[in-house]
Amino acid sequence: MYGGGNTFEPIKATGLEMEDPAKLAEFEARIERGEKIEPQDWMPNLYRKQLIRMIEQHAHSEIIGALPEGTWITRAPGFRRKLAQMAKVQDEVGHAQLLYSAAETLGKSREDMITDLINGKSKYSNIFNYPAFTWADSTVISWLVDAGAIVNQIANAKGSYGPYCRALDRICAEESFHLKYGHDAVVHLATGTPIQRKMLQEALNRWWTPLMHFFGPPDKMSVHTEILVKWKVKMATNDECRQQFLDMYVPKIWELGLSLPDPKLHKNAETGEWEYTEPDWEEFKRVINGDGPCNAERLAVRRTAEERGAWVRKALLSPKATYVTPLA
Amino acid sequence: MKELAIKELLYKMADDLLILGHRNSEWTGIGPILEEDIAFSSMAQDKVGQSWALYKMLQVLGEQEPDTVAFTRNAPQFHSCKFVELPIGEYDFSLVRHFLFDTADLLRFDLLSRSSYTPLAQLATKIKGELKYHTMHANTWIKQLGSVEDEEAFQRMQYALDVALPFALGIFEEGPYEQSLADEKIFAGEVHLKSLWLEKIQETLSKTRLVLGDVSLISPELGGRYGQHTEFLQPLLDEMTEVFKVDPTAEW
Amino acid sequence: MNDVFQSLDPRINRLGVTVEGHLEAKSSLDQFETYEVFFQMKEGKPYEHAGIVHAPNEDMAFLFGKEQFSRRYTCTGMWIVKTHQVITSPITDHEQSAYDLLDHRLAETELNELSHFEVFHLKKRGRQQVHMGRVQAKGYHDAFKQASEHFGTEPALQVWVIRSQDLLFSDEADKDIWFTLPEKKYRDAIAYKSSDKINAYKERTAKQ
Repeated sequence: MYGGGNTFEPIKATGLEMEDPAKLAEFEARIERGEKIEPQDWMPNLYRKQLIRMIEQHAHSEIIGALPEGTWITRAPGFRRKLAQMAKVQDEVGHAQLLYSAAETLGKSREDMITDLINGKSKYSNIFNYPAFTWADSTVISWLVDAGAIVNQIANAKGSYGPYCRALDRICAEESFHLKYGHDAVVHLATGTPIQRKMLQEALNRWWTPLMHFFGPPDKMSVHTEILVKWKVKMATNDECRQQFLDMYVPKIWELGLSLPDPKLHKNAETGEWEYTEPDWEEFKRVINGDGPCNAERLAVRRTAEERGAWVRKALLSPKATYVTPLA
Repeated sequence: MKELAIKELLYKMADDLLILGHRNSEWTGIGPILEEDIAFSSMAQDKVGQSWALYKMLQVLGEQEPDTVAFTRNAPQFHSCKFVELPIGEYDFSLVRHFLFDTADLLRFDLLSRSSYTPLAQLATKIKGELKYHTMHANTWIKQLGSVEDEEAFQRMQYALDVALPFALGIFEEGPYEQSLADEKIFAGEVHLKSLWLEKIQETLSKTRLVLGDVSLISPELGGRYGQHTEFLQPLLDEMTEVFKVDPTAEW
Repeated sequence: MNDVFQSLDPRINRLGVTVEGHLEAKSSLDQFETYEVFFQMKEGKPYEHAGIVHAPNEDMAFLFGKEQFSRRYTCTGMWIVKTHQVITSPITDHEQSAYDLLDHRLAETELNELSHFEVFHLKKRGRQQVHMGRVQAKGYHDAFKQASEHFGTEPALQVWVIRSQDLLFSDEADKDIWFTLPEKKYRDAIAYKSSDKINAYKERTAKQ
């Protein structure tokens, strides 16, 4: 589950003049033709660096993303929900595995990525720094955070890097289950008892701002990423993803008679664009920089899990083991 | 008599699988390595799925629907052995429990695949492969961690095995209908199962440095089959049913 | 001091997560080496590359690969091999076969006796490597040559060659470990149909 919101920090598109112009031209022509880049191909350093950053952030978002819904794994009501909740959280761990593997093909080891996550050097989707207070929060995450992630991921699956696209195809297929499961659970609450409905409405109110943040700051505030668009690393802008999400899901929320905590939210009939109150982007920045409600807990849980598993890994490591970069 | 006996058998099996599946699901997202996290979660799901199938069988026999049975009873009404309700502890304990329980489970379902009670025989046949993977997983882990030179790991595994053994022996606590089940060729009985189990786990452990305590000198942790549990089961159930009990008549 | 977190997640509270702490940078191989995983979705279909798992040895890699890559849909078999035991050709563009780019850099890996090798092709960029078949050869270089003779007319943007004895093949008798996959509907999108409930709700509210 990743919305692409906080991927791109200011990049210096310098160093390109250091690249071999013939190879660069061949690389760009391949992307232009719509062909994928594979790990053994020549690629500019900037491409490699930006992809590692993006895929790594995506991978971290999956493993951290397992925690908010994991909050309810032991409390899911009834057999159907219990099994699905277990499978859903498991899938997030599986997605992290797939994405770490894709990033590894670019030359960064999983060890280094995990270290950088836990020690706060690399980021993950902001949304997972918010707490899941009730079962309803968990259903909202399963439905709407996955929905948002799918919007971003379907766009990125058309990108240029083969291993990332393959991972995304698989992830999107699995998340179609999350989406349906989440929607089903939300519908049950929305059409259920007054207590269930209230629980859901409150959760929706809590998650709306993080959901609007999920795709990142508006394009006019965002860093210029022309070269990454050309190289098919960045496939859709933050606003495009947000608009698509609103267009697909706000009607589905409203049809259940639920409200969203933004009186300005509506679709402009003339432009076809959704209009809304800008969410608090200062809050977004604060949370990215570590000061959200759950940042410290999320990282501490990951650290504890790594520490508690250390004896297992140490005991099983063969002295003959050698690491080589995975192939695809 | 026969129906009572079948129900008793189904209840203890279903309760064991539900509670252990629930416990093992706690590892999802916090396991020792991503890949193992995924594998362990799948097996927890299988257990919960198997328990569901057994509760459905009970429903056919006139019991309440599975969600009601699983999510509204209190600890004294559970027939699970004490072993499955113990907290997950560290990975050493969870692995050892997985090995000891799943070996018994595989053998139990293997016996049941020849049961005169057709629904059980059919289920046993269907899930044979699932259980095979579970024991393949357990045996591989036990063989490897039980044979490593790493002293910390070895000591942890041996300690976990020593702690787990009396509880594992509680799996085979005899029920009130053993004779009836055997006479009707429904299930060969806990005593028989226990001897098969001992042989099987010895076989695996003999390929490791781990030593199994002398079971003739150990008093098994009994009582679970009759509703006597450790202090861990009721809090587990309170947690598991927290949302469901907000309104047990609602659809979730 | 080292306070313990009060989490909303009861599992986390039992874990005793401490507030303070710093992870020592992971040493290399903390996550083990990698294995390439291939699987077969249906009888008669070719094995395809699925991805990698990190594992301490091939038995564990098998256990891990099974649940990471075949916990959905159907599966009838799986192969596992250490990443460094896969020998790869250069990668080409669509108009060129990878077999045309082979050089003699593999000469030093020649073996003394004939062995079997599994041959895989990347038929299109962005896709997975697909198993083409098996050849007998006296070394990797020879295996590429044999592969070229047998499969050279097929699209090959990149060729992988693996010595058969380096692969762990799932046992024919263990196929039943995948039998119940199609029944695990709870992880399948099509098992969730809420439109009836939505329509009923709409009708109910329209009347009010």
